[in-house]
Amino acid sequence: MVVFTTWGEWLPALVTEPRLRHLLGRDWQRYRRTGDPTVRHRFAAARLLLKHTAAAALETDAAELDLAYKIGGRPHLRGLRQIDVSLAHTDELIVVGISRTGRIGVDAEPLSRSLSLDVMRSRVCTPGEQAVLGAVEGPALTAAMLRLWTLKEAYTKALGQGLRLLFTEFDIPHVIEGEIATNGHSGLLAPDGAPAALDAWAFGAYRALDRYLVSVACHDAVPAAPPEFGGDGLCDEESMSLVSRLLCQEP
Amino acid sequence: MTPSADSPSSSRNTLEQAAGTHDRATALRRAALLDGMLGDPLDPGNPHGFTALAEFDRDRRPPVETEQLLAVAGMGSELVPVRHGGMLARADLLMRVLRPVFRRDVALGLGCGISSSFAASAVWAAGNATQQSSVAALLLGGGRITVVHPGLGPAGGVSRDGFTLRRPADGRPVLDGCKDVIMDAERAGAFVLHAATATAAGPHSHSALLLDPARLPAGRMRLLPRAVTPGLRAAVFSGLRFTRCPVPENAFVGRAGEGVALALRTNQINRCLLAGAVTAAVDPVLRSAVSAATANSAASPARRWRRPLAGVFADLLACDALAQACLRAASLVPERAHVPTVAATYMISALLGDALDELSAVLGSAGRQGDGLPHGLLAKLTRDLPAAGLGRAGAAACQAVIVPQLRTLANRSWFVEAEPPPGLFGESIDLPRLDHRLLTFAGDADFLAAYLAGSAERIACARAADGRTALLGRFADGFLGELRVLREQCRALPGRFGASMSGPWTAALSDRYGLVVTAAAVLGTWEAEEDGASFLADPGWALLALSRLAYRAGIEVPNRPEDCVTGVLDELLSRQRTGRGFDLDGAELTR
Repeated sequence: MVVFTTWGEWLPALVTEPRLRHLLGRDWQRYRRTGDPTVRHRFAAARLLLKHTAAAALETDAAELDLAYKIGGRPHLRGLRQIDVSLAHTDELIVVGISRTGRIGVDAEPLSRSLSLDVMRSRVCTPGEQAVLGAVEGPALTAAMLRLWTLKEAYTKALGQGLRLLFTEFDIPHVIEGEIATNGHSGLLAPDGAPAALDAWAFGAYRALDRYLVSVACHDAVPAAPPEFGGDGLCDEESMSLVSRLLCQEP
Repeated sequence: MTPSADSPSSSRNTLEQAAGTHDRATALRRAALLDGMLGDPLDPGNPHGFTALAEFDRDRRPPVETEQLLAVAGMGSELVPVRHGGMLARADLLMRVLRPVFRRDVALGLGCGISSSFAASAVWAAGNATQQSSVAALLLGGGRITVVHPGLGPAGGVSRDGFTLRRPADGRPVLDGCKDVIMDAERAGAFVLHAATATAAGPHSHSALLLDPARLPAGRMRLLPRAVTPGLRAAVFSGLRFTRCPVPENAFVGRAGEGVALALRTNQINRCLLAGAVTAAVDPVLRSAVSAATANSAASPARRWRRPLAGVFADLLACDALAQACLRAASLVPERAHVPTVAATYMISALLGDALDELSAVLGSAGRQGDGLPHGLLAKLTRDLPAAGLGRAGAAACQAVIVPQLRTLANRSWFVEAEPPPGLFGESIDLPRLDHRLLTFAGDADFLAAYLAGSAERIACARAADGRTALLGRFADGFLGELRVLREQCRALPGRFGASMSGPWTAALSDRYGLVVTAAAVLGTWEAEEDGASFLADPGWALLALSRLAYRAGIEVPNRPEDCVTGVLDELLSRQRTGRGFDLDGAELTR
């Protein structure tokens, strides 16, 4: 599930939210320290959007969720290893991705952003991708470069390694705006570093509010847990109930 | 080096001589002997090496030759307490002996070690003398025993499968029911089976039974086909079905209705033992990553890989600190160890998962995409961890045991409980032998939280000495502050199970609690080594480990000095060069 909005739309909610400190949790200090009001509001709005989106998906209250960060900065919902989230923003746009099937990464850029072909060739593209870009020009080239850049960002964010993974080291399948493409044998990795299974990654690039490009990379993690170790519920309620009753010395 | 086992009998004699007194030195010597027998894991011609074991995993065949080697080497006797004629003196020492096996293959370590330990522990804890001697004889003779839970999640959940023991008006109890996925159901010489003995579901509904399949009447127990599992592919899982199978009156392990409590009492040790032993399986992945990152320059990895490599090494040391502290606590303060030990399993599996993530980026880089041994090891481990109960479902099972106890700890233990006696960290003090009968479930004590308070105070007194010690003190204060916040929040938890206990908020609390006890174990390990001359005496590794724990916890703490990363990285590279393990012992490994 991918949701986008602008922080401006959330400003009234931010200002009037009595639980803002509670909802921001450990991010409250960073929010308070941020001097620039635009950055501060966007920071808070992004976190509220993420929590409310996840809360809706999990049928819980946003205040029940604790947003934390992995080493390297990838956000996650603390204590809930079954859910993966991703966050991106650019200008006034905020994007949240949430998945229960595996890793997800989202990225966004203004459509007006113009990338340098030289930089793309030397720092971003594999030889195959260079050839693809070499075959187009004008506005089509600008759009293709932006798609490729944001998709690579989304993929590395999904893997959780940010920019530590060099962009020239992996191929992204050709994505047409508004359509989903899956990976072939293009050298993409599963989150475990092994070659990704065919079609395990889904990529999409979408226009948002007519002025942004939102790119998504989503990994479908199969196989699921073996029957030995229960289902994929958020909580092992049966066990918790048993333990709790045993503690209370109930019959 | 090729395996050095000349002949089965000579291997066995060597190990038995090495046993001698059951202290740390002999356990480490047995671990080293076992490592030597299994040979260089990187040698493609070694039948017990990574390449061979990966092939068994791919073909879903058990590595029979390696299993035989381990049986002959006396692995079974490692699982039998000294008082029953075996060599098991302490759980933390058993973990050391199991590590050479886990370093090579998780399925092998489970099948030849911990799976039997799960079952046998119930008998050591609650069985009668006859049951204990028969299980001891089975294991000492190289046999296996397996546990048959009712579709058990690692902590004690119930699923669709299950067994029922009924007592007809006129005679012996009879057993009915089936389960599809049981490790070594086909090869085990005994089962510890959990069957429902009460009609109403509840915490006293199940009882543990010790069954000898050879003595059950013909045709009443049927072996079901082998189950295909996504991970642990070389292990043999299959099902069992019992149909009106008469069971001897004396089959009960402990009293009727105590099955769940017995599983909770003994699982804490075995799950922590498993998590602690599995850290050794990450060792070769980190080793491959260091090799990959230093491929182009013999001296040092590329700048972008220094932090993740040093960081993962510091996390492995933290995992070992935590596992060792909890397993030693099982000997020293068994009545105060339950919740921290379950939290250790939860945190170690989370930290190892994070480590594999970070290492995948190093291995996935620079044209080494997807093929060869390093990736094979990483991908296999990523499959094996969830299958061994150290993935998402395993985490939820740990949380199910931790969460209902947090309120009691907040009310009765944290900031009140006295510091535990010396001996939980470091190796200077001899510990009592592990006595499974003393293991408890649900105390109102928490030895690690109690330790943290004392540690913070001591370090505060020593702050003037050294800038980095002062920094350690600030981390200790930071985690103590986190425990204070947790105390307030956990006091507000409900006393009984309900929606407010099983929600995401309590899952987050158990995660934060796990980070606090991990920090306590790191501080304890550093304090125990402080006056020595080893790498562990320097605060650098502890600062790096604590800073990563604090970042995960979201605690506001000072920045760590950059030279922590450099110092830990230097040690990592030195151990890589000299072939020493990436754990607290840092022992020389066979290569």
